[in-house]
Amino acid sequence: MSILQWIYSVLSFLGHDVGYALAYIIESIILLIFVSISLIVMVYLFRKYMARVQQRIGPNRVGKFGLLQLIADALKLAGKEVIFPKERDDLPYKVAPFVVFFGLVLAFAFLPYGNLSIFGDLTITYSDVSIIFIFAILSIMPIGEVLAGIGSHNKYALMGALRSVAKDVSFEVPMMISVLAIVMMASARTATSLNLESIVTTEILPYGILEPIGLFVFFIAMIARASYAPFDMGESDSELVSGYSTEYTGLRFGLFYMGLFGTIFLGSLLVSLLYLGGFNGPISSQVGFIWLLVKGIVLVLISFTVWLSMPRIRIDKLVNVGWKYLLPISFINLVLAGVLTLGLGW
Amino acid sequence: MHGVLRLKAKLDGEVIKELEPVIGYLHRNAEKLCEMGFYCDNLIYFDRMDYVGAMNMEVGYLEAAEKILGVPPPERAKWIRVIMAELSRLAAHLVWAGAYGLDLGMLTPFFYCFGEREKILTIFTEACGSRQETNYMSIGGVYQDFNEKIIEEIKDFLKTFPKRMEIIYNIYVKNDVFLSRTKGIGVLSRDLAIAYGVTGPMLRASGVEYDVRKAEPYLVYDKVNFDIPISHKGDNLARFLVRFEEMRQSLKIIKQALDKLPEGPYFNPKAKKSMMIRMRGDGEYYARTESSKGEFGVYIVGDGGVKPYRVRVRSPTFKNLSILPVLSKDVMLADMIAISGSIDLVFGEIDR
Amino acid sequence: MVDIIQESMGKDGRKIIQVSVENLIPLMNEMRSNGFDHLSLVTAIDRKDSIDVVYHLHSMDRNEYVVVKVNTKNYVVPSVTGIWPSANWDEREQYDLVGVKFEGHPNLKRLFLPEGWIGHPLRKDYDLSKVQYVNMDEDGEDYATFDAGDGW
Repeated sequence: MSILQWIYSVLSFLGHDVGYALAYIIESIILLIFVSISLIVMVYLFRKYMARVQQRIGPNRVGKFGLLQLIADALKLAGKEVIFPKERDDLPYKVAPFVVFFGLVLAFAFLPYGNLSIFGDLTITYSDVSIIFIFAILSIMPIGEVLAGIGSHNKYALMGALRSVAKDVSFEVPMMISVLAIVMMASARTATSLNLESIVTTEILPYGILEPIGLFVFFIAMIARASYAPFDMGESDSELVSGYSTEYTGLRFGLFYMGLFGTIFLGSLLVSLLYLGGFNGPISSQVGFIWLLVKGIVLVLISFTVWLSMPRIRIDKLVNVGWKYLLPISFINLVLAGVLTLGLGW
Repeated sequence: MHGVLRLKAKLDGEVIKELEPVIGYLHRNAEKLCEMGFYCDNLIYFDRMDYVGAMNMEVGYLEAAEKILGVPPPERAKWIRVIMAELSRLAAHLVWAGAYGLDLGMLTPFFYCFGEREKILTIFTEACGSRQETNYMSIGGVYQDFNEKIIEEIKDFLKTFPKRMEIIYNIYVKNDVFLSRTKGIGVLSRDLAIAYGVTGPMLRASGVEYDVRKAEPYLVYDKVNFDIPISHKGDNLARFLVRFEEMRQSLKIIKQALDKLPEGPYFNPKAKKSMMIRMRGDGEYYARTESSKGEFGVYIVGDGGVKPYRVRVRSPTFKNLSILPVLSKDVMLADMIAISGSIDLVFGEIDR
Repeated sequence: MVDIIQESMGKDGRKIIQVSVENLIPLMNEMRSNGFDHLSLVTAIDRKDSIDVVYHLHSMDRNEYVVVKVNTKNYVVPSVTGIWPSANWDEREQYDLVGVKFEGHPNLKRLFLPEGWIGHPLRKDYDLSKVQYVNMDEDGEDYATFDAGDGW
């Protein structure tokens, strides 16, 4: 039983239509809260982990262990004066952060979250083509960045937007092809092989073991999509001030910032679902969600470590990495997956 | 990079076609201020030039001013100055090493470098009560003698630092992305470097074995044993390696200087405090010293009065920066940042 | 051989060669071909009624220093940028701060101070009591004015 059904059973006295409508609204609010809290935890985790790596203390003043620091930061950002650039293109400028952030939140709705003891199945929405849906949303987010870059009427913002689009496009393709390999292998076992949940539940071994090359390509592409170092030339501070978010202040800047951490969290959850078994694990019928979360956070920490120890790659070399190395590798992976599925009958 | 630099660039996509540095945002006209102060007052303006390695600037000014005034420092003061100048060189190179990582988008080494630099600044605080603008040396010697605690602290530092330095070094050179950003980028040929007056680690990375400490030894640099690191590659990586090797040589110099530190007065009695403002300088003297950035020259012209008639500073980074438009023609924007980082710019010194 | 007005030894043990303005470029060309490949410093000294321009030349191979001095009454000296490219910024700086015109310089603009600054600060007769403000125009270029403007 999913959350939706659970809420509906409480509200069933309102009748079918009104009950479901209310249940959907409440569910969306729960989703928003979940994403916000997990992003705040992610930022806190990042700052503490970064401080640990850099032999500092990190946030430690507001609340116990600085736990309330992020809430204070968010309130500060929300309370700041909003400064609009004079020659902005009004609509794209204002809409861009919301495109990025709400696209991200939407993608979270289609992830299967697994079970958690008394709450049952935590998955919010089912779809038979959830993989396609998630990747469709992921390709909407660069549009938000382009809108921000063009709408700001700023050279740095424009160049940052162009760079991040070049990066997103060149890593999108290897990413999709490595997912295709998984869909191919899953289709041998399930009829709904585009459904993320049925891929995870029907697997015998985690796909990361069967095709480590796919895991490698997907993980790198995921870090690149999330604009993490060494692929953060979109907002490289020493060259382009802050890239496409240069002209943003206050809450809108906060949304971009959250988008940065949200993408890495979403990507880590995707990697753990697709390649590392997701919510599978010992007693997964009771604590599947915990397994998913643990795997996701470990992957996030790995990406943080990469961020903290790598300088930026030059943009032309980055595009080379995407098209000349990752793409051929992902094709090889696709062929291997085909051999595994058809030849060996895995 | 440290300070305010404005670069006007004409871009073709990501490739720089034309670059013009605009400087002067930190201009105080220290040369004019020096004309208005007594010889002993002017030291503070030199502290504020290369503020990340202030002791080297003090050495440079005093080399010229003491010759003009005719008050040589005693032997112990010379050795103390060498120790402090080399510690300062380490501090300046650490700032550079950290900031270079930031220029390339690498956050972590910055904190490692500044953590080590903090230990050097603690030694400075112990010696004179100030961290950055130390004003430690004075005409005719140094402001305060070394006590046991300072020597102990320096010895502790010498024990712990080499290991930490190797960690920082390895963070950089064992990183393939760092190598791809530095190897073969911004190649500066020997002739071009000399013609543009480039000095210091940048010149040595282009294959010229020129170090003022060897070429024209001042203080007691002729009594210590050290090598001049050079490289013939002339690219960003060569400059990086030369600077790190220089730090190792600095450690060597400090070690020897601590062993050889003689007993005796640390101050020339001719330069007592009451005498200081009455000292008159005549003639002209051009003193050149090797600061952490290159050949730091101070040209003082005296007219027999208590204040210098004209003070002129040869700032090494000023000359080194003038090569940037040449080096960054037809390179990518990101490479230009890497090149400008490898020059080791400090704007207190360029703008003066 | 170029005519030399006076040759002496400085306090720092470096040879000082005094030449007239007309003979500066021939002498510098000769110096350059003699192996003085590094122009260390260009200094202009305001002597109230005239200006001394001092060139510190250095030879990297022989590690030898020579000082060349010229004296000019009308604040004009020929530029040596064609001989040593490093003189470019040095001469701009001296033009900016002392007000010597370097004839034949490719780009003789102010270096530190903004365009429109009145006076040259390192002149002995520079009026220090006059306050000048630096403003920024729409394109980000600096210019100097005598009133405080709008704070930029």
